[in-house]
Amino acid sequence: MKWVLLSAAGALALGLFAWLWRVFGGTSRVDLLVAFRNLVQHRRRSAFLGGAIAAVTAFLVLLSGLSAGVRETMLRTATTLMTGHINVAGFYKVTEGMSAPVVADYEKVLAVVHEAVPEMRYAVARGRGYAKVVSDSGSMQLGINGIDVRAEPAFAEVVQLASGNLGDLAKPNTLLLFESQAKKLDVKVGDMLTLSAPTTRGINNTLDVRLIGIAHDLGLLSTWNCYMPAESLRELYRLNPGSTGAIQLLLRDDALPNTPAIMARLRKALEARGYRLLDPDPEPFFVKFDKVNREDWTGQKLDVTSWEDELSFFSWTLKALDGLSATLLAILLAIVVIGIMNTMWIAIRERTREIGTLRAIGMQREQVVRQFLLEALMLGLVATVAGVVLGAVAAAGLNAARIPVPIGAQIFLLSNHLFFAVHAGTLASAVAAITLVTGLAALYPSLRAAKLRPVSAMQHFG
Amino acid sequence: MSAIVSVRGAVKEYALGAVKVQALRGVDLEVGEGEFLSIAGPSGSGKTTLLNLIGCVDTATSGVVQVAGKDTASLSERQLTELRLNTIGFIFQSFNLVSVLSVLQNVELPLLLQRRFSGKERHDRVLDLLGRVGLADHAKHRPSELSGGQRQRVAIARALVTRPQIVLADEPTANLDSVTGENILALMRELNRTERTTFIFSTHDAKVMAHASAVVRIADGRVLGREAPAAAQAEGH
Ligand SMILES: Nc1ncnc2c1ncn2[C@@H]1O[C@H](COP(=O)(O)OP(=O)(O)OP(=O)(O)O)[C@@H](O)[C@H]1O
Ligand SMILES: [Mg+2]
Repeated sequence: MKWVLLSAAGALALGLFAWLWRVFGGTSRVDLLVAFRNLVQHRRRSAFLGGAIAAVTAFLVLLSGLSAGVRETMLRTATTLMTGHINVAGFYKVTEGMSAPVVADYEKVLAVVHEAVPEMRYAVARGRGYAKVVSDSGSMQLGINGIDVRAEPAFAEVVQLASGNLGDLAKPNTLLLFESQAKKLDVKVGDMLTLSAPTTRGINNTLDVRLIGIAHDLGLLSTWNCYMPAESLRELYRLNPGSTGAIQLLLRDDALPNTPAIMARLRKALEARGYRLLDPDPEPFFVKFDKVNREDWTGQKLDVTSWEDELSFFSWTLKALDGLSATLLAILLAIVVIGIMNTMWIAIRERTREIGTLRAIGMQREQVVRQFLLEALMLGLVATVAGVVLGAVAAAGLNAARIPVPIGAQIFLLSNHLFFAVHAGTLASAVAAITLVTGLAALYPSLRAAKLRPVSAMQHFG
Repeated sequence: MSAIVSVRGAVKEYALGAVKVQALRGVDLEVGEGEFLSIAGPSGSGKTTLLNLIGCVDTATSGVVQVAGKDTASLSERQLTELRLNTIGFIFQSFNLVSVLSVLQNVELPLLLQRRFSGKERHDRVLDLLGRVGLADHAKHRPSELSGGQRQRVAIARALVTRPQIVLADEPTANLDSVTGENILALMRELNRTERTTFIFSTHDAKVMAHASAVVRIADGRVLGREAPAAAQAEGH
């Protein structure tokens, strides 16, 4: 079956290539000249259509830049706040129905990770917990991250403090909150808070901590995450010194597309060292406790997840954005296609006698196709290149203007200003794709033009 | 004189809705190499239709059309196009130049389609022909910058640039004033003599017919006969 499909695709590609060769093989300077001069001859029409194509291209560059920007901001923010590109998390059960987020003796696990993932830039260990944070005037349930802030320089780049000093988070029994949390708890830097949480053995434990900093909000993730020193988190949960909640791996950018393969490799390596693993389950860790509690095992199991798994509750944002982009893309391309086909029909009607003449004096049909395709492709190429430049400049301008995102949207975009990520590769593929669409739209009219009979050269009017 | 064009029993029917119009009702015609033949007849007699069959731009409903020894009914569209490119030159009543190309490029076009000659060879040939039609100084001009007579000269140069065996011209002087028409005819006649190219042209103008080496009269889709024109006789042919 696979071979049938493969050879069919091969035959199709070969046929397409042969056809393209026949049509464009003998392209001469004069073909290009005729195409160019015809475009110039009808410069108003060309400018109008070209302008439309350029505008559509520019708009699509912005749209895809926005989509990529959201994705990149989300990835960057999330990989700082709560997940690595890949995570090795622990689920530890003393009794069957009680699981805790613990990787015991994590240095050993880290050694396996280092060996199995050479694509890794660095790894951080994060303690995990879920505790009641109590102030004088209120309380709230928050996810607690145990962090060694000195070991994570990237953290300071993403988390910007509104007040306080991030370096103080290295001191024991300290806490970092986000603005919305601090507002709700009605606390300021220097205030004391109490953390209350159940330990692995089911007994409640408390710890008094000092608020050392309040960070600017970073969307949804900053509503339920807060940070304290890893050491203090262990104290709160009465954990062994060598334990952590999860190891978060940060990969080199070029290795990111290979994440699934790297995860599979890491799983194998961990299993080979005798670690038990949870079955792959593309969900964030905090929804897994219920499931794990219902399973009949005790001791430790490791869970290897990707950032996409941990952020799967966000995927609808990305999907909605992609869906919106795809819809707009379809509408705009349809407009371009209709515009091109319409213009081609007009051009062909105007040039019926010329086409007939060329056919009469010995031009083959595919050369007529070539003439018209070249004209469309030339217009398409110039227009898309102009559009891409326009789009890139607009994106740079909008980025520089730092347009604020409304609060509601911030929650999902994980950013407080609009960011368009425009890459050379995107621009090149936009040029290629839209020029190709231009060519495809021109194909049918061109084929029809080639079908015009040479006798039409003898018609004296029209 | 061997026949380069041979038409036997050619019938051409056009369907106008349900009605069938017979434009040609069984035409027989032999054209010898080197002739300067005029096809004459009133409007609607079938001159254009006959030239279209000989020029391989249209096909007969029945009958045989042989051009340069080839039965055109047996050729594919591609082969017909090649035959037109290499064997036949066309001169149109309304010149039919490519408006966006210069005079030189228009004349060069058939050579580019042939893809047989180098840039230099093409250039030499085009300039030579432009010289002979008296337009060497206008090579860079666009057709729109030329008079009707000059345009038709460009068309003649384009028709002859491939050194075809046959040149077909459907009322080549109909869109020109009579003096210019005379000049164009004289030019065609001269090229017919120097190049030994067969010319077949249609007209209903007696003064134009006078240039021909022979005149074939048709009416109502039938050949009435072939005659030598008075002028030709006077010239001593
Ligand atoms: N495409 C066509 N469809 C239908 N009838 C046609 C078509 N072309 C020509 N005819 C008819 O065929 C007959 C011969 O036409 P043709 O054009 O060959 O005459 P002609 O001698 O060239 O006339 P003219 O001197 O006006 O150019 C005419 O009756 C004409 O109406
Ligand atoms: Mg006619």
